[in-house]
Amino acid sequence: MKKRVVVTGLGVVSPMGCGKEGFWNNLIAGKSGIAPMSAFDLSPYTCKLGGVVRDFKPEIYLGSKGLKYLNKGTRFLGSASKMALDDARLAQGSFQPEQMGIIIGSSLGNFSETTDYFYEIIRDNPSELSPMLSYDVALNSSTNYVSVIFGIKGLARTISSGFTSSADAIGDAFRMIQRDVVKVIVAGGVEQVSMDLYLIFYLRGLLSGLDGARETSAPFDKARNGFIMAEGSYVVILEELEHALHRGAHIYAEVRGFGNTFTGAKNHPADICVHRAERAMHEALINAGVEKEGIDLISANANGCRLQDAIEAKAIQSLFGVNCGVAVSAVKSNLGESYGASGAAQLISTVLSISSGQIPHIIHSREKDPGIDLNLILEKPVRKHIENALINTMDYEGNNSCFVISRVK
Amino acid sequence: MSKVVITGLGLVTPVGIGVRESWESFIQGRNGANEMKSFDTSKYKVHRSCEVKNFQWDFALENQIRENTIHKYVYYAAREALQESGLLGDTRFNRERFSLAIGTLAAELTPFERLLRLDVSKKDNGFDKIVAAVYPPNSITNMLSQNFDFEGPAMISLNACSSGNHAIAWAYDLLIDNKVDVVMVGGGDMIPQTEFTHFHNLKALAPERCQPFDKNRQGLMIGEGAGILIMERYEFARERGAMIIAEMSGYGLSCDGFHMTAPHPEGDGAVKCMSDALKMAKLSPRQIGYINAHGTGTPHNDRTETIAIKRVFNEDAYKIPCSSTKSMIGHLMGAASAVESVVCCLTLRHGIVPPTINYETPDPECDLDYVPNAAREVKVDHIVNNSFAFGGNNATTIFSRMG
Repeated sequence: MKKRVVVTGLGVVSPMGCGKEGFWNNLIAGKSGIAPMSAFDLSPYTCKLGGVVRDFKPEIYLGSKGLKYLNKGTRFLGSASKMALDDARLAQGSFQPEQMGIIIGSSLGNFSETTDYFYEIIRDNPSELSPMLSYDVALNSSTNYVSVIFGIKGLARTISSGFTSSADAIGDAFRMIQRDVVKVIVAGGVEQVSMDLYLIFYLRGLLSGLDGARETSAPFDKARNGFIMAEGSYVVILEELEHALHRGAHIYAEVRGFGNTFTGAKNHPADICVHRAERAMHEALINAGVEKEGIDLISANANGCRLQDAIEAKAIQSLFGVNCGVAVSAVKSNLGESYGASGAAQLISTVLSISSGQIPHIIHSREKDPGIDLNLILEKPVRKHIENALINTMDYEGNNSCFVISRVK
Repeated sequence: MSKVVITGLGLVTPVGIGVRESWESFIQGRNGANEMKSFDTSKYKVHRSCEVKNFQWDFALENQIRENTIHKYVYYAAREALQESGLLGDTRFNRERFSLAIGTLAAELTPFERLLRLDVSKKDNGFDKIVAAVYPPNSITNMLSQNFDFEGPAMISLNACSSGNHAIAWAYDLLIDNKVDVVMVGGGDMIPQTEFTHFHNLKALAPERCQPFDKNRQGLMIGEGAGILIMERYEFARERGAMIIAEMSGYGLSCDGFHMTAPHPEGDGAVKCMSDALKMAKLSPRQIGYINAHGTGTPHNDRTETIAIKRVFNEDAYKIPCSSTKSMIGHLMGAASAVESVVCCLTLRHGIVPPTINYETPDPECDLDYVPNAAREVKVDHIVNNSFAFGGNNATTIFSRMG
């Protein structure tokens, strides 16, 4: 008999504030976390906007001791994890360390710090650099740091699968708790904005604002022309239901099902991409034992990419029927595309939609795309009782990972 | 209860290109250490590592494979493993049920470093479209998918030196749950100067050679290469008439949650993951015929690993051959436990345990049977493969003779 898995804690470090309250209030108020990026010189380039974390004070969450050795991603993840553990009332000493694990998804990990360290190596005498400088430069060192400071002993894993990384991490954590490997898993994602990551997306032609187009984070909109890169860390506490009930934890929602497919990073015709995306959603529904008619909200992957958003819209229409009317939200309009961390951001926003009965609206939309026939929540947030929600995450190179989460019965 | 089996193996190591050449070197106890060639080490105190030698790039130019990136080693090992499994070019099956799981520590840091050395003055001068294309770690699984038509869920495991075993554990779960039929798993890493500097400045590098469990051991040596295994659901392998090399019978995971670079002094995390692996495989310690140790050659690791093995295996610990192939090929980081898993399968196949070479002076704190300096013929049915990474990321896998 598989164990049931619930969400009992939320932690957020986002371009729209730290902590679930600020994050949620800003989402519902229709605020945008997107602004010009000033941390590095973008004068030669046309794309200048980003979802950058501002006014972030990691010492509030992590103390100031040793902070200077931690890179940005580790500060984000450490702080979001601390918030999530506090929110779940899992202080150190109050849980069995062997029964807790951590699984984090990150497309690019600490690659920027790793390369920064390399500049030091080639500029200076490498053998004289302090070993403390490389303390936090492995791709998975953020995850390790969290396991060390919170004394997590069950398992530690970091997954990289492009833009679905944190969704895959949460899916992995969900299955592990179902199989009773551990009782609690700190799951989520972390990413950061940096010059070299900017160049990856810029050179691949994925950013909004190329070739003179107006820069905007406008999922599903007619004028969409790419995504706005963003950073942050989003962490949830996933817990086995009995364990949560036994300790009297507040339960936000239940993770019911997970499904994923891959298109193999190939230039498949669009109909194959649509079919695979649809199948990931379908598998999540089957895995959850929820009929498609039971879905009240879809948190879309949509990030403003021309083709990708159209593929997702077609997949939703194909699975749910053309005039299905199921509400569709897209929080990347506010947050930007935080690549591997996005799935966890969508999970948190959807959990908060279930508990508050409100769906945040898609901002930055100007004109309806006639090719996209969905019940998009535009202009203002909507009040709605939500029993079950579907969360879509899709990588531009082919991973599709979807969840179903539900109100706990 | 379903089973998971191994049907193909592929290797690129510092002592051989391909499984046959590498295995011959392993049983002869060849030392793969050499003077570092891929970058200038004159500013360091250590100048040696275990590099892949004589790697000839003689394939037709395949999709997206770029010379001088980790793609080439992974591609070679993947092709070799697929060929052995009989799946290379076999178009009968639903490729959406063929998955990918690859472990790596540094992914594509090496080509990036190479470009940056040309001009340090500006960061983006190091970037061109090729680097942008190989830079995200999942470019490795994308490359494999494009070349070998694996179109099931794909993941990259970033778990430092236990990445390979984590990928294998992930694949095991997917297969046991019947989500997919085949998973190509493994790991690959080159030697970026960044990692060399990191280990060098932690004073973790041995200057001349790697001497695991020896009293005078001075540290690890960094190595490079790739190891790939084709894992399948037993029913799927049987129905298609595949040759089965071994069964993957269980795994254990744990986390020290103790320190960013030092292992837990009593090996608590190592004990948990070995015990959990035995439990999942439903094996008693007595049934284990060989342990492929993590055995990095650092004073800390080898001592705590020995303590942990004794805590798990009690008096049997002294009877079980326990060698470190890192003595020959160095520490392949993210690829290490994948390559060592291939070694475990070869040990089951040939009934020969590879040695720990460079072993001269016994250490009273490391008093197990490390198979010093010469390979040994042993009848073995079950093998434990340990990986204990920096940051306390532990993963143990168990491979068994197909019963």
